[in-house]
Amino acid sequence: MNNDFKLASDWVKDTVPLQIDEKYHCATRDIFQSRLDLMLNFLLSNTKITENDVYIMSAIAGEIGNNSFDHNLGNWPDIAGIFFSYEVDDEKLEIVLADRGQGVFKTLKRVKPELKDDLEALFTAFNEKISGRAPEDRGNGLKFVKESIRQTKSHLVFLSGKAKAELNDQIEIEKNEEISGCLAVISN
Amino acid sequence: MRIELKKFGNVLVSRPAGREAYLAMSAYVTKDLGEKESIVIDFDGVKVLTPSWADEVITRLAENHSISVENTDNPTVRETLKTLEKYSGLKTV
Repeated sequence: MNNDFKLASDWVKDTVPLQIDEKYHCATRDIFQSRLDLMLNFLLSNTKITENDVYIMSAIAGEIGNNSFDHNLGNWPDIAGIFFSYEVDDEKLEIVLADRGQGVFKTLKRVKPELKDDLEALFTAFNEKISGRAPEDRGNGLKFVKESIRQTKSHLVFLSGKAKAELNDQIEIEKNEEISGCLAVISN
Repeated sequence: MRIELKKFGNVLVSRPAGREAYLAMSAYVTKDLGEKESIVIDFDGVKVLTPSWADEVITRLAENHSISVENTDNPTVRETLKTLEKYSGLKTV
């Protein structure tokens, strides 16, 4: 475990993005969707992870991965698409997702201009109802992620800009080394 | 009217896919349904549902129709419906 996390972490930290292996890079949403389906079927057939946990972990990954495309389509700063991988060891699963997109702060500031920094942006994204997002009518995904993590007693580390959120049955948000875009690690 | 979501797939996760499903429903399934007529949404066979997909379909259907739900045992279905009720104002009967 953690090998893929290192690759994704290096990818979002470098100012000049590294080339990443095609097997991790989902340049478009369609590629991500098909790999998410493959992961779901693999986990159901080849691991001892419970069926319900596989569904929930897949939903969390689906929501985070699709968020990257929703918020950056046509607006990627350098590399389009996301990093997506998973490692599994018997009942232990770790899913890594990353993008070199706008990040949560820049995205949310469009609809909540009073946001001051990455820390406030992550707090808002995971906790507050975002209203009046037209024409961007979206914003419930990370609240769903937070509640799903809590219910399954799983674990999420979510980095964006200079902030890090760590979720299990609680959520803690703190400063972190700056990255480009977002990086998420989901584990059971 | 009953809508079986499994006819749209069993992994329902993205907004574009939700939009596509809603347009297909509007053109072929709910086209002749009068406003305020009720719809039963059947989640049987759905493995993975997220608020992004559901917000594009269920929240929009609920704008003009009374919605009731069936076969919501899947944990992602339950959690998605709770999220929509809390953050998108979805009401089901």
